[in-house]
Amino acid sequence: MSDQRPEESAVEARERYELLRALGSVALTPPPGNESVWHALGLRPATGVEHTEIFVLGLPPHAAIYLGDEGKLGGEGLDRVGGFWRALGLTAPEDADHLGALLMLYAELGLAESLATNERSIEQLRTSRQALLHEHLWPWLPAYLHAVSELQVSSLAEWATLAHAAVLEEHDRSTPAPLLPLALREAPQALAGGDSVDDLLDAMVAPVRSGVVLTQRDLRAGAAVAGVGFRRGERRFALRAMLEQDAAATLGWLAERARSWAEIHRGHGTDPTTDWWRARAESTATVLAAALEGEQ
Amino acid sequence: MTSKKTNRVSLMERARRVSAARKDVEARGETFYQGASGVHLAAFPPKERWDDWVELDSRAWPRREEHHYMLVPTTCFNCESACGLLAYVDRDDLHVRKFEGNPEHPGSRGRNCAKGPATINQVTDPDRILYPLRKVGERGEGQWERVSWDEVLDTLGERLRKAIIEERQNEIMVHIGRPGEDGFTERVLASWGVDGHNSHTNVCSSGGRAGYQFWMGADRPSPDHANAKVIYLISSHLETGHYFNPHAQRITEARANGAKVIVLDTRLSNTATHADHWLSPQPGSESAINLAVAQHLIATGRYDREFVRKWWNWQEYLEECRPDLPATFESFETALVSMYSEFTFEYAAQESGIDAATIAEVAETVAQAGTRFSSHIWRSAAAANLGGWQITRTLVLISALLGAIGTEGGLFANSWNKFVPKPIYTPPHPGVWQQLTWPTEFPLAQNEMSFLLPHFLKEGRGTLDTYFIRVYNPVWTNPDGMSWMEVLTDKEKIGCFVSLTPTWNESAYLADFVLPMGHSSERHDTHSYEQYDGQWVGFRQPVLRAARERLGETITDSRQVNPGEVWEENEFWIELSWRIDPDGSLGIRQYHESKANPGTKLSVDEYYGWMFENSVPGLPEKAAAEDLTPLEFMRRYGAFEITKGQGAVYTAQVRDQELADLNVTPQGRVFTATEKPPVVNMAPVGAPGPDGEGRRPVGVMIDGVVRTGFPTPSGKLEFYSSTLAGWGWPEQAIPGYLKSHVHPDELAEDQMVLLSTFRLPTQIHTRSANSKWLDELAHTNPVWIHPQDAARLGVQHTGDLVRVQSDIGYFVAKVWITEGIRPGVVACSHHMGRWRPENQGGGAGGMMATVDLQREGSDWTMRRLRNVGPHESSDPDTQRIWWSDTGVHQNLIFPVHPDPISGMHCWHQAVRVVKGGPDDHAGDISVDTEKARAVYDDWMTRTRPAGHVSPDGTRRPSWLMRPLKPSADTFALDT
Repeated sequence: MSDQRPEESAVEARERYELLRALGSVALTPPPGNESVWHALGLRPATGVEHTEIFVLGLPPHAAIYLGDEGKLGGEGLDRVGGFWRALGLTAPEDADHLGALLMLYAELGLAESLATNERSIEQLRTSRQALLHEHLWPWLPAYLHAVSELQVSSLAEWATLAHAAVLEEHDRSTPAPLLPLALREAPQALAGGDSVDDLLDAMVAPVRSGVVLTQRDLRAGAAVAGVGFRRGERRFALRAMLEQDAAATLGWLAERARSWAEIHRGHGTDPTTDWWRARAESTATVLAAALEGEQ
Repeated sequence: MTSKKTNRVSLMERARRVSAARKDVEARGETFYQGASGVHLAAFPPKERWDDWVELDSRAWPRREEHHYMLVPTTCFNCESACGLLAYVDRDDLHVRKFEGNPEHPGSRGRNCAKGPATINQVTDPDRILYPLRKVGERGEGQWERVSWDEVLDTLGERLRKAIIEERQNEIMVHIGRPGEDGFTERVLASWGVDGHNSHTNVCSSGGRAGYQFWMGADRPSPDHANAKVIYLISSHLETGHYFNPHAQRITEARANGAKVIVLDTRLSNTATHADHWLSPQPGSESAINLAVAQHLIATGRYDREFVRKWWNWQEYLEECRPDLPATFESFETALVSMYSEFTFEYAAQESGIDAATIAEVAETVAQAGTRFSSHIWRSAAAANLGGWQITRTLVLISALLGAIGTEGGLFANSWNKFVPKPIYTPPHPGVWQQLTWPTEFPLAQNEMSFLLPHFLKEGRGTLDTYFIRVYNPVWTNPDGMSWMEVLTDKEKIGCFVSLTPTWNESAYLADFVLPMGHSSERHDTHSYEQYDGQWVGFRQPVLRAARERLGETITDSRQVNPGEVWEENEFWIELSWRIDPDGSLGIRQYHESKANPGTKLSVDEYYGWMFENSVPGLPEKAAAEDLTPLEFMRRYGAFEITKGQGAVYTAQVRDQELADLNVTPQGRVFTATEKPPVVNMAPVGAPGPDGEGRRPVGVMIDGVVRTGFPTPSGKLEFYSSTLAGWGWPEQAIPGYLKSHVHPDELAEDQMVLLSTFRLPTQIHTRSANSKWLDELAHTNPVWIHPQDAARLGVQHTGDLVRVQSDIGYFVAKVWITEGIRPGVVACSHHMGRWRPENQGGGAGGMMATVDLQREGSDWTMRRLRNVGPHESSDPDTQRIWWSDTGVHQNLIFPVHPDPISGMHCWHQAVRVVKGGPDDHAGDISVDTEKARAVYDDWMTRTRPAGHVSPDGTRRPSWLMRPLKPSADTFALDT
């Protein structure tokens, strides 16, 4: 079924895809390369420092981090995306799961679809494009883009808002998928209570396990809320240090954070994928609250 | 809901703005998305920022030290692929710091092999030649004095003028190694009225070329690898030496899309390691395998009947060979079945040593390719065996059966995918015939019989007044190098020997003048190569000239920007032509004069400016869109794509305007009385002659329509070659299996085949020896030997010595025991074994061993005195040379083996391999040139000279290509 609205011309469809390509391009290419693209998007160009702050240090835009079991680059999370490229007959680039690459691929498929004349090709391209959206973009982008906007880098917060609107538009136009995305169907179990500290730490830094996107900035803020010192290091290390200093205060902050994320997901819609994320964050909040009670 | 609708409106407005901005930016010829696309190719510096590209100095880390560069395109000059390079010119001191790929180049698409970036080594090589030198004393004594270019030009100009005035044009010869350009040198010689062009092609690609030419009138293939379903490669060489980068990247794309790769190579090459089917045949049996595949297609009816009916010259075959049969396609099909019925899988297995089931599997894979079957053969098997050109013929037979000619993923003629722009002047054909390069014994030779020159000179067939070698090293490159030593040092045979070279080499040591020429970033050339279904032209330029011009300077001579007094050839040839004919009375100067300012010298700016303005369709418009002249555009971007998707050119319908007073032969060849329309693409191609009344061939009648066809006598694909049949070789007129001179039947019990033709992807002949990075990667050439053979010979370990004995001498080398070679065959690579006698200064410090070279009559011996090692120079890296072994110069022990038809030197050798003795040292050579002479005499008896077989009293079929074609009257045998 076509997701081109009756009132939308082929030219308008191409323009829509171009917008997604441009949004992907500025994420992929560090300044100053894409200044004209930023301007065309109506956004203030991010500086090199800002670009690095978000896309290298704060929230690397790779699907594997948000959909992989361990919340890290590479691994099965990347393999799944790489397999999608290969299924299209394309060579998967090194950063196959980079948000920029995926948005540009989405635009490329959309453009090819709008130019195709053969009904079978159109259908194949549309199916591929929608599969990309359902399997590899929509399952993590709303949460990711929200996390970007929370980092308070104004140029990139504006970019994230625009990117979210554009992806939401695509999602609204697309045919609902019959199944949850594979990454969510095969996601590891949520925290169940009685987990070890290591299990807890593993889950909290892996969004697909906790339903929570936890950034370094969050942890710094959480340490202040919990009244504990923030030890510099990777997130798991920093969180362990917080728990070791004051487990109850840290668990309380984490439970609140998980509840907040459940609400954030709820605000992103009611489709099965978003529901899954909401449920996962709620479950985490519940387990953490129970752990807090045990601690107290 | 209202809010969402508003957001959508705002979103679409932004979408429109982005699209409009992209359109505007790209309409200006600029890049909208500057950086990694994530979908297409990786990031390159966007062309808008080529004037001031900033990179951080990695050595300054952690400080952020910026370097500002000007990026200037040029074309690589190492192999023949002509890949695009971008020179990074430091804006602070105007030095080239590095070379990377040019993303604007349609062939190489921003990618390079190791040899491209290594150009920086060649430019900064501490051993390079910077000034013109004249020998002092006798040739080869190693004493030189610096001379001025003026002195050189006056001396040479006077000699050449005298020879031309005295009608000794045939005593002038320019011998080309790496051409690296399209036709400039030929036109210089034509302007002198001299048939003195001598190429290295008959020790290189003639075997491959001849097979293609007899089929389709174009002597090179242009396979569309990227879109193929099955890729069939004979030998690794084409994908690891020449064509490595442009072809390999397209083969890689095809493989990612599921294409199957079949490689026939006796040795486990780099390409073979990537193949779905690696076939390691007995050397020379490749035709038997090809014919078994073809037989399978025929026997199972899986060939394209319509294609064969329309485009093969089967009618001619029936008329000439089977007049007993009705002249119908059906009878041809019946004949076709019986013609190849003997080439069963079992027969091919018996010849090749590969089991029949594997060949059957390969044949089935091929059968499933349909018209997406790309194939390539260039050197290796075609260049190595007696009748190697038939291996090409049998390979094209497969494509021609599948109808995979000019199809997506199929095989194209290079002339459809190559563009040689017409230059400002096209001098007439010389009125003389050079018999030292085009002797009557080889009327069908694909190119000049260059490697026989020493023997012809010794036989007294002629002498040379002035002999130029240009980016060429005949002593090292040719077989029988010691015979070259003998004639190059003989002043009676060669009066003046001039070496135009950027670097020292074994031949330059013997020259009277050594003249420094520029590397790829120091000279002008245009170059085009068939690498996909499209046409492009690339531009090589002195990059510092272009950089300085961007800064507002005026440069008129490449010596103003090149190191020392290094010059570019074009300016040298123009200047030399003026010295030969200072007043224009010889009619030479006119071809080297400015058109804009008559009476003054033609500048390279005017030469290329005229060419780009008048002979490259689409370039002026493209340049104008960026407010540039065509020359400025090429100086800025380095390449221009003229067409893409040429398709099946031969099927194009001939325009009505060209059809008048037609003569249509019974076989369908169409001749017209109309004038040939002007052409601006001068890509070399066959030139079939007119009919009896002077009408020119214009096409071929296919089912009532006149179509362009092929530039062959019949206008069709010549399954049956009337040329071969008419010039004394009727038994070779159709694609067939010609047993090699190293066929097992020809070998004594203790002989093995030496496979000597393979190359390494990181070196290129002797040209790259001055690249320290490449030398570090590859610097020696052990003899590959199978463990079974090693055990039989008592060779226990890799690194042990063997003595390899040919018909004229032996070499000693280390072995590499490996299962990557077939039992009964040994292999040794090109590029290595470089040497210099003790008395020679200069060289290639990382690759040339110092040797003691002795001669007693016809006996030559070479013993290694010193290997390479760390040494002081202006480059501190020469202190870091960690290797010492630089291999062996195997070509010295090869006698000449001229194929009687293609003229190709058949490189494979029948050798005896024995374990090295206590007095043997790696790199030792012993050769007897008298024995070399005897082998030459023997092979000459295989020829069928034009005097006996010419059907029309001429030296050579006039339609066959020839790099520099003399006037028609010189073709007559009695001239």
